[in-house]
Parts: sequence; structure tokens; C-alpha cells
Amino acid sequence: AAQETTLRVSNWLPPSHPIVKDIVQPWAEQVEEATEGRVEVQILDAPLGPPPAHFDLAATGAADVTFGVHGYTPGRFALTDIAELPFLTPSAEALSVGLWRLHENMLAEQNEHEGVKVLALWGHGPGHLFTTGGDVTPLDALEGAKVRVAGAVTNQLAEEMGMVPLQAPAPQTYELLSGGVADGIFFPYESIPFFKLDSIIEKGLRVPGGLYNVSFFFVMNEGTWNELSEENKAAIDSVSGEPLVRMAGQAWDNADAAGLEAIRDTVEFHDATDAEMEEIRAEAQAIYDAVREKVEAKGVDFDAALQMLQDETAKVASE
Amino acid sequence: MTHDKTGAGRRVRALRQTFRRITAVLTGVLLLALTGVTLVDVLGRYFFSSPLPGASEMTELLVMAIVFAGLPAICLDDGHITVDLFTAQLEGRAAEIQTMAGRLVVALMLAIVSWQLWEHGTRLGSYGETTIYLRFSLSPVAKAASALCGASALIVFAMAVMCLPKGVSEDI
Amino acid sequence: MDWPIGLALLLGLIFAGVPIAFALSGIGLIGVISIIGLDPALAMLGQIYFDSGRSYTLSVVPLFLLMGNFIVQSGIASELYDAANAWLRHRKGGLAMATIVACGGFSSVCGSSLATTATMGRISLPAMRRYGYSDRLAAASVAAGGTLGILIPPSVILVIYGILTQQDIGKLFLAGLVPGLIGVLFYIGAVRLSLAVHPENLETMEKLSLRDRLRATKGVAGALVLFVWVLGGIYLGVFTATEAAGMGAGGAILITALRRQLTWRNTLVTLFDTAKTTAVMFFILFGALYFLNYVNLSGLTSDLRDWIMALGVGRIPVILMIIVLFLVLGCLLESLSMILLTVPVLFPIVADLGFDLIWFGVFVVVATELSYITPPIGMNVFVMRIVAPDIPLQRVFAGVLPFVFVDILRLLLLIAVPALVLFVPNSM
Ligand code: NA
Ligand code: NA
Repeated sequence: AAQETTLRVSNWLPPSHPIVKDIVQPWAEQVEEATEGRVEVQILDAPLGPPPAHFDLAATGAADVTFGVHGYTPGRFALTDIAELPFLTPSAEALSVGLWRLHENMLAEQNEHEGVKVLALWGHGPGHLFTTGGDVTPLDALEGAKVRVAGAVTNQLAEEMGMVPLQAPAPQTYELLSGGVADGIFFPYESIPFFKLDSIIEKGLRVPGGLYNVSFFFVMNEGTWNELSEENKAAIDSVSGEPLVRMAGQAWDNADAAGLEAIRDTVEFHDATDAEMEEIRAEAQAIYDAVREKVEAKGVDFDAALQMLQDETAKVASE
Repeated sequence: MTHDKTGAGRRVRALRQTFRRITAVLTGVLLLALTGVTLVDVLGRYFFSSPLPGASEMTELLVMAIVFAGLPAICLDDGHITVDLFTAQLEGRAAEIQTMAGRLVVALMLAIVSWQLWEHGTRLGSYGETTIYLRFSLSPVAKAASALCGASALIVFAMAVMCLPKGVSEDI
Repeated sequence: MDWPIGLALLLGLIFAGVPIAFALSGIGLIGVISIIGLDPALAMLGQIYFDSGRSYTLSVVPLFLLMGNFIVQSGIASELYDAANAWLRHRKGGLAMATIVACGGFSSVCGSSLATTATMGRISLPAMRRYGYSDRLAAASVAAGGTLGILIPPSVILVIYGILTQQDIGKLFLAGLVPGLIGVLFYIGAVRLSLAVHPENLETMEKLSLRDRLRATKGVAGALVLFVWVLGGIYLGVFTATEAAGMGAGGAILITALRRQLTWRNTLVTLFDTAKTTAVMFFILFGALYFLNYVNLSGLTSDLRDWIMALGVGRIPVILMIIVLFLVLGCLLESLSMILLTVPVLFPIVADLGFDLIWFGVFVVVATELSYITPPIGMNVFVMRIVAPDIPLQRVFAGVLPFVFVDILRLLLLIAVPALVLFVPNSM
């Protein structure tokens, strides 16, 4: 059949990033295949705005499809913060599918993603703490260390752990760490080689389920979606939602595995001891409380939502 | 410029002068604050392990304030950069028409930008969007920028219809 | 609306004397409406003016300008010229050569080419005209020398390149040093070339004794201290390149105070000047960014990439194509829009071909320096117009030709000997 529609994707990451290479591009190909060429997906050469603008770009229709980070627009999304809490990520795939099922069952009805059709939500792999040489154990050794944080969760965690949080965009991390402006950073494995930090990072602190996560959205403008034929909608649905979320999670897990492989010999990892875990758990309580407050303010039962996320994540993890 | 010798011409010059002075003091304070934020942040971090919380956000907001606060005075002076490769040769009526047309385009675009900044501010307000660390509400920021653009649009429109003489780069 | 029509309309509007900032946003708006419809195009306008207005990265613009302007207020800028003069005044074309050297010196404490041009134009142009230099040579040497502002660190453009391509900005700054010095030498050669082609009857000045030369050079110390303070801070990891702008501005204010030049009135003039230039540049930037979205949506960047990929087979043909591309675009575009338009498309291609991205950053900046002085849209030449309104634009554009020529030579030299760029950053 002849091509009917072109979907424009605004992309703010380099083409080599796993999100582009292993999530957006494969999805684009799947859409073209599922619609038998009636819908074409065009990834724009340059983004139409800075990263935080990407939800609005889709909501206003400037782009048809965008992806982005919920935490870049503070105040707008509260519910997806649940997936960013410490200790919840056995793998990116398990957490992502858990988040997606939670979204479909309890979060979607709150309509936080107004103006768009949500194609997928996902999280990256478990986040860890890395340093350029400073000790990560005992935990007191981290006191006063300057650490680049990834958002509100890691900012609060850094403060609770007695560190000095630094706020800077991800592309500036090499500059911060190589120059010695920062002593450490919160990142998943994948990001260490991706941002060329592998030659600088020497030590890592790991906890089961990770110290934090970051939740992402992948969305289509609602008007664009409504104008599609029923046939095309069904075709796109067949390659979006849970299958896409699963693919995204797997992509992160693969990227993390490659990242770990790249730094395995050069980074000295310390897995938190039971005593240290107790300490970190106590410090993380404040973060759980903060998210609870935000979530309940939106009328969602935090305990039930957290329970569901943990149950579904565990289900996928044991597959 | 024959206007310059009339009372109206003098009043325009005085008005421009006043605008420049107010803008100079206002943006001057903002620029010093902008410098101060980096100094306090870096020196605090280096010597006392305590950076200025939210320094990068203060920097962002101060830059925005400088850019938009400077706009009305620049518009009143016809201070935006133009290419006069061809238009410099125009004289008399033709030059007046060219100046007026240029100003009308500027006024129109500023009006649209002002309108859309207001809309954007309303959108940000409806989500309750804030900055990440300082939790500074962003909707009023967009609306203030909108107001400054709107005022500048009115200034340029008035200059166009009143055929005011072209502003020149003058001291404060 | 296809992009060739959009570009033509943009040029039409700009030549009709509509301010560049609003010609860009106006034509951009029409173009974007034609592609994605009225409501999304309008919403994008509000979004761009808001998001780009509060950009942490772009905070380097006002702060690097402020640093340079306080160096002017402190009197160091004119002492830089006096020092360069003391060493070169007795040579043929010496005042023009001194202008180039002083531009290079000022570039080391100012991150912007426009500010370098404006400053040195005010200081050296009157001296050159007094000694019988033609407007063509005098204005052209300032406009060309001013382009060094974005190559010799610190540099607004290198900061933005570093952020676009995720390269270490500190290394980029170091990499710009040697090509910047080569630029100074080549421009001195261009002054000679210019005098060979258009002989001028210049008054030569008497040669100074070594003692007098050294005495005149003392004034440069302040600039050197500030340069070391800014670059040293970056290399010792005390602050980032973005923060260096604020630290540099603070240092410049301190130096001005130590030299007892921090008077109320002059300070207010300096601050107003900086704020005015900042606002004017940002509004051009907003327009350029919006126009860039139109260009992006219209597929010009893809067309360019396909065109380059189809023509060039090996590394060298591609990089030569890129020079041609920059020359053509550089005639039409302002430096920042050029970087924003081309770098995201080109850097993956050149990285695939095995070029070092630090090297490419410096290469792009040298290529971008050309855009400041090539007609019809050459921002440095326009700045000269503000500094010396009586010199016709055509004469300046004619005068910069020898400088454009040596710039192209410099690009070819950097391709032939990449170590000129990479030796310094790699040895740190
Ligand atoms: Na410079
Ligand atoms: Na040009």
C-alpha cells in the first residue's frame, strides 16, 4: 500500500545512544512493517527543542512522537516517581514492565500525560554510585564528597548520605569529573562508558535493586493518533505498549551488560554490607516519604501502587 | 533628521535617555548578581564544601531577566542589528517607509511572541511546573517575559505609526 | 514551503532592512506553519523563546562579554594595543599588524568575536586612520582579527560545540591555542598580502628602543593574569568552562578595581553595554533557533548530508566538501546558527570517518570564523559599521579578501597537520 502518513520523531540524543539505536529505530521499523509501509517514521536530524521541552513538543504537536525524562519537568509528573525509588530495580526489563502494568492499572486514569497517547514508559538499569578514587566504604568515607546528581531522588539521597550534590547536565559530566570539580556520580553501568568516564572512574558502590532509577516516557501527539485509520492504530498498538516496554527494558539491560563489561577490570566495586544496607535504607526513608506525599496528593494509594509495582516487577524478574 | 530640532524630537531623545538609564541600573544589578552567583557557588564549593544550592537555576533565571529586561530600551533605540547594505542609500520618503515597514514587522513578531509566551506560561501553570531544586514556579517567569515583549511591541508599533526618527547608539 | 524558498525570503527580508532577529523568526514561523500547521508552530514559538532564554549553557555569553568589557574599562585593552604597537610600529603596515596581535591578546580574555571586534575597532581604528591607513585595510584587519575571539580560549562557540558533541570543553579550549596563534601569524601575512596587492602610502613610525618596548609591554600583565586565572582554574578542576565565564568576569572586575578604574559612571556604562549586547544577541539567537527548526523540519540537513555522502568517498573529499559547505553557509548565516545547524548533522559523519572530534571542533570554529567576515551577512563587518559608520560596507568586504584567503590556507594546514590542533590537549 502507498504511504499515507509520516510520523516525525524529535530526538535529543546522539544516534549511537541505546535509546535511539535499540528502542526508537527498531520501533520505527516495526511500525513501518506492521502498517505495511502506510505509516513512515522519520527521526529528525536535530531536536526541535532542549530535552525538557520534549513532552510539550509532542503535546502541542510540534513533533508527532517524542521521548524524554519525567524528572526534567518538575512539578508536572508525580506518579512515575514511584519507579525512581531506591532498591526497586532488579533489571531494567522487570522494572519497566512493572511500571507499565502499574501505569495501565492505576496511574493512567490520573491523566498526567495529557494531550498525548502514551506509547511506552520505561526505566534504565539499576543506578549506582561511582567515584573517581574516593573510598565508598565505610559510608562515612563519602562524607563531603562532591557528587553529580541525576534529579530530585539522587539529590535527596546525596544529601542524606552527607555528600555535596552538584547539578549539571549529563553531557558535562566528563568535564566535571575529569577536572576534579566533582568526586563522584550517580549513573547506571551503561552511562559510564557512554559519557567516556571509564578512564576516570575507579570505585563503585552497589546495592541490590540499585540506589535510584529514572523513568522515561515515549509518547505520540493525541491529534496525530486520532487522525490515524483504525487499521493503522491497531498496527501501531501491536508494536507499542508492553512489547515496546519490554524491548526498551531489554535494550537497557544489554547496554548495561556491555557497560559493566567495559569497566569490570578498571572499577573496584563494593557491594553494600548488611550493616551498610540498614544505614542506606534508613537514609532512603526520607525519599520514600517525599514520594508518598506527592503521590497521595494526586489521589493515588501509594502503598497499593508500590505493592503492585514490586509484585509485577518480581513476576517479570522470575520469568 | 528635521524631527530632532522640534520639541517632539527633543522629547523622544529625553524618553530614550530615561529608558536607557533605568535599564542600565536594572540590568547592571542583574549582571552583577549573575557574576556573584558563580563566584559564591565556586568559592563556596572549593573552600567550604558548600556550593550555592540551585546556583545553575539562579543563573538561568538571571540570564533570562537580563535578556528580556533589556528589550524595551533596545526597541526604543532601534537597536536590533540590521543589514543596511541596500537601505542605507534610501532617502526622504522612501527611507521613512522602509523604517516604518521594518518597525511594523518587529512589532508584529514581538506581539506574536508575547502572546505565545503568555500561552506557554498558562500551560506551565496548569501543570504546576517548577525548577528542579529551588522549586521556583515557572509560569510567572514566562508571563513576565510575555509582558516585556508585549510592552516592546507597543513601543515599536507607536514608533512606526508616529514615524519617530531612527534611534542611534547613544551613551546612557 | 521548501527550504530554498524560505532561504530566499529570509535574505529578502534581511536586505530590506528588517532586523535579523525578527526576519529569522518571521520567516521561520511561516515555514513551520506550512509544515506542521498553525497551532503547533505558534506553541513552538513560545517554547523556544522561553527555553532558550533560560539556558544555563548560554549564560557564558553575557559573562564572557562582561569580562571583556571590564578589561576595556580597566584600560588594559588599549594597553594591549600600545604594547603590540611598540613592537611592530616601525614595520610596513605595522599598525595593522599590531591590531591583529592586540585582537589575539584581547581574545584571550574575551569569549566573543563580536566583542573583540567592537573593542579593538574603537581602540585601533582611530590610530590607523591617523597614520594614513586606508579604510579598507584598517577596517578589514579589525574585522578579521576580531574573529580570533572564538578560537583563542575562552570561547562561547567552543563551549556550545562541546555541549553539542559531548566533548571536553577544557580540551577544546587548549586545542584552540595553537591554531589561534597560527591565525595571528597568517593574518599578519594577510596584511602584507593586502599591501602588496594595493600598495598604500603609509607613514612609518620610528623604531622604539628595547627598553621602551618592554616598558610598553608591562601593561599586558593584567590580561595575562586573567588568562591564566581562567584557563588555570579549568585545568586544575576548580571550576568548569561554563563557570569560568563567571569567574573571569569576577576577576576582570577585581583587576579594574585594583587599577582604580571602577568608577560608578564607567561601571554603569560597561554593565549597560553588556546587557544591551546580550539582549540583542539572544534575540538573534531565538530567531535563529526557530528558523533552525524550520530548516530541520524541511529536511535541509538531510539533503546536505546526502549530498556530502554522495559526493565524497574518502576522508579528505568529505572534509573538503565540508569546507565548501561552510564557505557557502557562512556567507548567509551567523556563527551560532551555523554551528547549531551543521554540527549535529556532521559530527557523526566525521567521527565515522575517523576524525578526532576535538580536532573537528577547532576546524569547525576556524571555518565559522570565516562567516563573520564574508558577505553578504558578516557580523563582524556589521559591528565595524557601528564602530565606524562612515566606512561603506563594500569597502570592508573588499578589504577582508586577503584574510579570507589565508583562513582557507589555515584550514588546509589543519587538515594536513592535525597535530597542530591535538598536540597541546593530548599532552595535558
Ligand atoms: Na577568546
Ligand atoms: Na558571512
